Amino acid sequence: MYFVIGDYVAGMLIGALTALGVRAVVWPGMDMVIAMLLGMVIGMGIHLVLGLLLSPLLGMFETMMPASMIGMYGGMLFGMRDSMAAGSRTLAAAAAVGALFGALVVLSIKVYDRALRGPVIDAGD
Amino acid sequence: MDTETQRKWDTASRTFDWFTFADDHRLGPHKRRLFSKIRGATLMVAAGTGNDFKFFPPGQHIVAIDISPQMLERAAQKAATYQGTIELQVMDVCELPFPDASFDTVVTVCTFCSVPKPVAGLRELYRVLRPSGQLLMFEHVRSKIGPFGIFLDLMTPLSRRLGPELNRDTVGNVQKAGFQIRREENVYLDIVKIIEAVKG
Repeated sequence: MYFVIGDYVAGMLIGALTALGVRAVVWPGMDMVIAMLLGMVIGMGIHLVLGLLLSPLLGMFETMMPASMIGMYGGMLFGMRDSMAAGSRTLAAAAAVGALFGALVVLSIKVYDRALRGPVIDAGD
Repeated sequence: MDTETQRKWDTASRTFDWFTFADDHRLGPHKRRLFSKIRGATLMVAAGTGNDFKFFPPGQHIVAIDISPQMLERAAQKAATYQGTIELQVMDVCELPFPDASFDTVVTVCTFCSVPKPVAGLRELYRVLRPSGQLLMFEHVRSKIGPFGIFLDLMTPLSRRLGPELNRDTVGNVQKAGFQIRREENVYLDIVKIIEAVKG
């Protein structure tokens, strides 16, 4: 249970910090392509730092894989949103959407992991 | 002896237990299940700081090797608490001094992400295994799922400096070395795997 809760908290933290990081750098009216690329770089940077800090507590791959998806894709999506000023007007709202996005990515990867887990080849003894 | 690799893992030994703390707890039951298949004379490759000794079934005699003397210094204490015997030796998997067909079982845990010449190392394991001997591996590999695989490729130049590579095709390398895959199991996504192979 500790690890399951930890996975979601980590995902929400990375999502929220990515959203805030992107909000700090991308302004309304910025070229959307630049904003998305910038968002991706910011998200990757945040996920690398937090992934390194959290992986001893939660496991290397269980932290790294969701974090990479949240950082990379979340950063791009938040960059696109902020360049268009399309919603989440306050910092708190941006962080909340980031956290929600993080939690949903963690959930999706857990579901996908369940589907993939188990024997791929089993030739018997 | 590959001194560059030895230096890298001597350095990593200082923080190794800290970074693998959660992995031990999350993945430990899978390792215990895999190690329950150990039989006969057993070689463990890349023992590290001995974190995995606690997952061995009791009563075995295991030769545990690692390229890093500092890793094995830390492993000595854990080997002493094992209910059986674990003999620690500094050794490069690509230059094993054992005669052909010396072991019934070879065990590896997150080893072939780090061996610079993985197929050469696996061929050495093939050599020292007896006919029908088994190779039990707990390894992480490159994902075949698009975004995960690309991410692991992007991260590898960085991870290689500190420790392992993240995009190895270890299942393919095991086959290239001559082994027959008996079982392949996904433990986390298609990245962390149990691989069981036999010397054909």
